[in-house]
Amino acid sequence: METREFGDIELRRVREHVWEIPREGEMNAPARVLASEALLDHIGDDKTLEQLRNATHLPGITKHAICMPDGHQGYGFPVGGVGATDATDGCLSPGAVGYDINCGVRMMTTNLTYEDLQGHEEELVDALFEAVPSGLGGGGVVKGDAETIEDILARGMRWAVDAGYATDDDLAHCEDEGFRDDARPEFVSQKAKDRGRNQIGSLGSGNHFLEVQRVTDVYREDVAESFGLEADQIVVLIHCGSRGLGHQTCTDYLRRIEKEHKDLLDELPDKELAAAPAGSALAEEYYGAMCAAINFAWVNRQLIMHRTREVFADVFDRDWRDMEMRLLYDVAHNIAKKEVHEVDGEERELYVHRKGATRAFPAGRPELPPAYADVGQPVIIPGSMGAGSYVLRGGDQSLDLTFGSTAHGAGRLMSRTKAKQEYWGETVQDELREQEKIYVKAQSGATVAEEAPGVYKDVDEVVRVSDELGIGDKVARTFPVCNIKG
Amino acid sequence: MGFTLRDHTADVAVEADGESLGAVFAAVADGLTAAMCDDPAETGDRFSVAVRAEGREALLFDYLDQLIYERDVRGVLPAAHEATVRREGDEWAVEASARGVPFADVDARDVKAVTYSEMRLAETDAGWEAYVVFDV
Repeated sequence: METREFGDIELRRVREHVWEIPREGEMNAPARVLASEALLDHIGDDKTLEQLRNATHLPGITKHAICMPDGHQGYGFPVGGVGATDATDGCLSPGAVGYDINCGVRMMTTNLTYEDLQGHEEELVDALFEAVPSGLGGGGVVKGDAETIEDILARGMRWAVDAGYATDDDLAHCEDEGFRDDARPEFVSQKAKDRGRNQIGSLGSGNHFLEVQRVTDVYREDVAESFGLEADQIVVLIHCGSRGLGHQTCTDYLRRIEKEHKDLLDELPDKELAAAPAGSALAEEYYGAMCAAINFAWVNRQLIMHRTREVFADVFDRDWRDMEMRLLYDVAHNIAKKEVHEVDGEERELYVHRKGATRAFPAGRPELPPAYADVGQPVIIPGSMGAGSYVLRGGDQSLDLTFGSTAHGAGRLMSRTKAKQEYWGETVQDELREQEKIYVKAQSGATVAEEAPGVYKDVDEVVRVSDELGIGDKVARTFPVCNIKG
Repeated sequence: MGFTLRDHTADVAVEADGESLGAVFAAVADGLTAAMCDDPAETGDRFSVAVRAEGREALLFDYLDQLIYERDVRGVLPAAHEATVRREGDEWAVEASARGVPFADVDARDVKAVTYSEMRLAETDAGWEAYVVFDV
């Protein structure tokens, strides 16, 4: 049997792109890594594997703790991690969701071509940068009073429709139609609401961005047609999350678990894996609060998309509806959801934690909106600002291998501190513009350096593995034209 | 005595030391500031922060969390930290202050949250040392 060793961890090759850390000691299940040899070299380079093995200690973890091809070290649970726990006698782990609840990506299609846009890049990037709040303290599209916050937390994108920021068609093309019915705003702390108030409709900073892109390659014509994608078309990708409101909600519940469920916490190898027993009051409250934060994040991305439509209308001097600016799909990649999956021939209700992993349901799952019921859900995989991004569709093998999940991005390779030593923001911007015709505008030069293309893994390789495993099938590839970030 | 930013694949880690618990708390907070801004302006008024928790590590976590909260709500970058830590009965308490630099005066980026990941707070021959990872 072929094996690979990284420190004290031995991985056994199950088959191509599938590696297993066998169950031993206190592990409640084996762990699996879905990666090519090349990606495994990166994954084994930091603490990802140790964190993945730790994740198997979560009570009620089912089948395997799984690391996606873009996995890298996080805190507690690795980024690129999927863990399904029994919803009756397992646990719910805020640590396995992450601080940025419903961090995610949406893509909006247009009927513009790259040719229509050429010559307008500078004007467009400046106008987007002006219109979309970003960075630290940039404010939000909407200044929320207490009532607005409650309404957004309770009703998600339905609030946005009533307030004139979204259409019914937008709702029909969002995961869960942009609304989690399980949201319980009363379990979101005042502190979290205070932080969210000034940030409704804002990108933030770090790896979050808004990008105007052109479709460069189409791999599956029939699926691309169902998604409304074709070569040379202009699309817009928005990547951000629930801002301070979500970060605070995670922090609040980590601390409550530490105080109220210390016994369980003491059994886990890492405090950041913090979990509440399924069925406990705290698990129920966290689930309600997390769902409210999920709603907040969907509204956040919706407001940014609304502003983007207005900017396009100004720059191209026509109504956004005439440019057919439609939401293709909005997917979360930091989330836990109650889902029913077949395990050993039996249907079970599980909390599926996806931290830096995207839901990738194939055709036939009841959760899919009518538009994608027969084709599988769109999965959006952002790359770095110098590389392409991908649109996939949920693959047939995803339910069997990953509880219906795939990767969420390229995955970082280089630390932020090292990136700032290696790169200079202005130089990166100049090179991208001169060599790749990519127009980048950021609040902070340091952010550009930290997010330079060279700090990420090869997104092509991540997507190749996803496609070959059949968990997320390649549909189209896009390349950046304009990028704004915090 | 002070802080150093350390490598972390996706996030930022701060290693700090100080002669007292209060000094090491303030040094970690200065590291948090440095993770958000390379060169904070000398502007802004000082504000106070007081936090209590059940243990020393929990107190450090809650103190840093409170600074991130104050940042978002006040609309300032907290800088030039000072802190005093003492035990009060079953609890630990920190009384601290920071200069709140208006966002308009700085080129700063977001740090989302403090984490317990690999957190270390330990007494040494020279005082105290700490290691904290922040989610970016």
